[in-house]
Amino acid sequence: MARERLPLTVIGGFLGAGKTTLLNRWLREAGGRRIAVLVNDFGALNIDAELVAAASGDTIALTNGCVCCQIGDDLSRALIAVLESRTAFDAVVIEASGVSDPWRIAQLGLADPGLALDGVIVLVDAGAALQQSRDPLLADTLERQLRAADLIVLNKTDDATPQDVARVSAWAASIAGRTLQWETTQARVPLALLTSQGLPAARGHHAACSHETHAHAGAHDHGSQFDTWSCRPEGVFAPTALRAWLKDTPEGLLRLKGLLRTGEAEWSEIQFAGRRGTLRRTEAPANGAALVAIGLRGQLPAAALEAQFVHG
Amino acid sequence: MSPITVYPARQIITMNPMQPHATHVAVRDGRVLAVGALEDMQAWGAFTLDERFAGKVLMPGLVEGHCHLKEGSMWDWTYLGWFDRQDPAGKVWNGLRSMAAVIARLAEVDAQMTTDGVPATKPLIAWGFDPIYFGGERMTVEHLDRASDTRPIVIGHANGHLMNVNTAMLRIAEITRDNEVEGVVKFAGGLMEGEPTGELQEPAAMFLVLRKIGNAGLLAPMTEAGVRSFGRLACLQGVTTATDLVNKLTEADCGVLEKVTQDDDCPVRILPAFQAFHGTHGAPLGAEHVRSLIPRSTDRLRYGLVKMMLDGSIQGFSARLRWPGHFNGAPNGIWVTAPAQYETDFEAYHRADLTIHTHTNGDEASEAAINAIERVLARAPRADHRHTLQHGQMIDAPMFRRMAALGLCANLFANHIWYWGDQHYETTMGPDRANRLDACGSALAAGVPLAIHSDAPVTPLGPFFTAWCAVNRLTPKGRLLGAAERIGVPQALRAITLGAAWTLKLDHEIGSIECGKRADFCVLEDDPLAMDPMALKDVRVWGTVLSGRVFEARRG
Repeated sequence: MARERLPLTVIGGFLGAGKTTLLNRWLREAGGRRIAVLVNDFGALNIDAELVAAASGDTIALTNGCVCCQIGDDLSRALIAVLESRTAFDAVVIEASGVSDPWRIAQLGLADPGLALDGVIVLVDAGAALQQSRDPLLADTLERQLRAADLIVLNKTDDATPQDVARVSAWAASIAGRTLQWETTQARVPLALLTSQGLPAARGHHAACSHETHAHAGAHDHGSQFDTWSCRPEGVFAPTALRAWLKDTPEGLLRLKGLLRTGEAEWSEIQFAGRRGTLRRTEAPANGAALVAIGLRGQLPAAALEAQFVHG
Repeated sequence: MSPITVYPARQIITMNPMQPHATHVAVRDGRVLAVGALEDMQAWGAFTLDERFAGKVLMPGLVEGHCHLKEGSMWDWTYLGWFDRQDPAGKVWNGLRSMAAVIARLAEVDAQMTTDGVPATKPLIAWGFDPIYFGGERMTVEHLDRASDTRPIVIGHANGHLMNVNTAMLRIAEITRDNEVEGVVKFAGGLMEGEPTGELQEPAAMFLVLRKIGNAGLLAPMTEAGVRSFGRLACLQGVTTATDLVNKLTEADCGVLEKVTQDDDCPVRILPAFQAFHGTHGAPLGAEHVRSLIPRSTDRLRYGLVKMMLDGSIQGFSARLRWPGHFNGAPNGIWVTAPAQYETDFEAYHRADLTIHTHTNGDEASEAAINAIERVLARAPRADHRHTLQHGQMIDAPMFRRMAALGLCANLFANHIWYWGDQHYETTMGPDRANRLDACGSALAAGVPLAIHSDAPVTPLGPFFTAWCAVNRLTPKGRLLGAAERIGVPQALRAITLGAAWTLKLDHEIGSIECGKRADFCVLEDDPLAMDPMALKDVRVWGTVLSGRVFEARRG
């Protein structure tokens, strides 16, 4: 049996942008998923005492099955420890240091056969970003981070005037192009944006497509913020064509994942998040082909998806 | 009264400017009792005359202010460098000047491993390979599989950013043509088109291999054997005091250091510097940790130094450069620590009365450090702090003048002039800044206390070679980088003794031969002050004396 690839998410952003707040929230709301979180500094994480099951050295085990590991100076060593631990995790989340390039870390998700890159999330401190972007010592570091992002979280918007938030957003867009920017406070981000594990399952049993406005349940509820499209495509898709499509997805698509037939006896897993997609050979699924995609409400390119996967 | 031993010598270079030369030195209790002529010794009463150094030249034991103990354990693996290099047993490994020579050495080591009964699954790990000297020819599996197609081979490059492996290792690491990561280099054409070449660039690609060989290889922790090997190398090079300029100082690390240094056979005094970046402690706790270790110091083990790090390396294009940036147009490098974080953490260690050594390679990083330290000193003035900028390779005269005003020391990476000087001139920074690379002349002119270093194992431990670089400023291609930045032999000798001792706050104990100081000597066959400065790197070291104990360097 093929090993299940462990989804890897990288959280980047300068000091004070809210990486720790985001991680804390994610850990608390893991919803039964066992996440291994690699952080720079435990102290900053400030995990609620009642959530701690056991702490030893560089590792804290939480009562909900999640684990926090301190990276120290050697990410490789910390990640090896997670991958080789006997615990079967459902996902790995790495907190990049405030000055590091998250893309360098994200490549681990492409490199290791045991990992699958699930996305790079970069937080921006809306209250401080304008000043930081003018600091010649920092500007290039922040720009590098934004260029790596699949999702930009404009955090702490309550620390800035609406005009300044708009300026920060324009600055980020001038660097990161059409990458989605999510404006928020307290690092509140819907789970569906953070990870493909937050995507709903594909509906229906046939090629019929389903397109609906999706309201996420649970603590991440932001009301009907997303549209979901799902499908069970029956066709055979050429890998080269799919890879080309992944490089130029229709505007409005935030995430997509699924399984497709890519040859007579060949199946592939397709995944897209933010600004990049992957296609990987996999074993034939028990339930046939399935695809699910999300976009912001009213912006999901359902017709283009249908043209590609149903009529294509 | 403890016994007195008097050593006559052909020449004693004391490095004490008030008494530069002597013929005799008396030692009692591991310390220098008297320096001068025989009559000066007789004033102290009865002594044993030990004439073993009568034909030799004595200097203060050399002080390496920036190296790493890993220099000792690297020799557990096979050396593949371009330059000749001496191992801890004193054997000189010839530099390898062709791909064929590299393959031949690997094949030889593989055969030896097989003869020794090492299982074929155990990887052959090698280090020091540097393709920069091979004129564009890249190493691939086609080369390495000739050395062995069964035993996994892993070669770490000298710059630390790349690796080459053979097909057997690719198989174990499950690296195939399908791997999507940018750092897995693939054949662009030919029969093997699309297959991995075995060259792995940057951490993500190298991770695949480290994961499989991890603790058995390059991630191996500090061991007692490794530290002992370092001691042998130090003795071979005349070094009696050396830093380990990044150490996590966990209880296990301290245990290894304390075990090795408590042994009277240990020929070197070690100063480990606590890793105060990307570390195990926040700054206030880190400062507390270092302070708690200081009472455990002994003569041969001195806790108390702190290491911080601002940027990357110049030849890796990860150093932070000011205008006009990289000569070849590469983007600016990276911050290892954000400048604001550096300032906050620096202040915590500074307020705890500790001396902080900061890695700054590029001039933007050096300037950021100077700016931060200037503000910290305004908030928390402290006399005689001896904070030191380490590497400081692109510091110019105006920055040196600011450093002098702030009481900062410089420990410059003079070995770079030889090892990467041509690359700096041609690629990384261009002629103007390469000509003031590791500007020892400017540092001294500005009145900055100066040390020079090897950063071993990045370049080999050997202060006379480092001094030769600072004195001659030559590159392998024959360039003289900045004639006016050259310093004299006496100045260079000071930088590898008293100068380095000053940056470690040990100048009252070591660095010169005078009454009251530790009896630390570097014992030489030649007189470095009487030689052609161009031959300084070839001065022959007989061995060392550490706190009165004599260690003859053993050469294999």
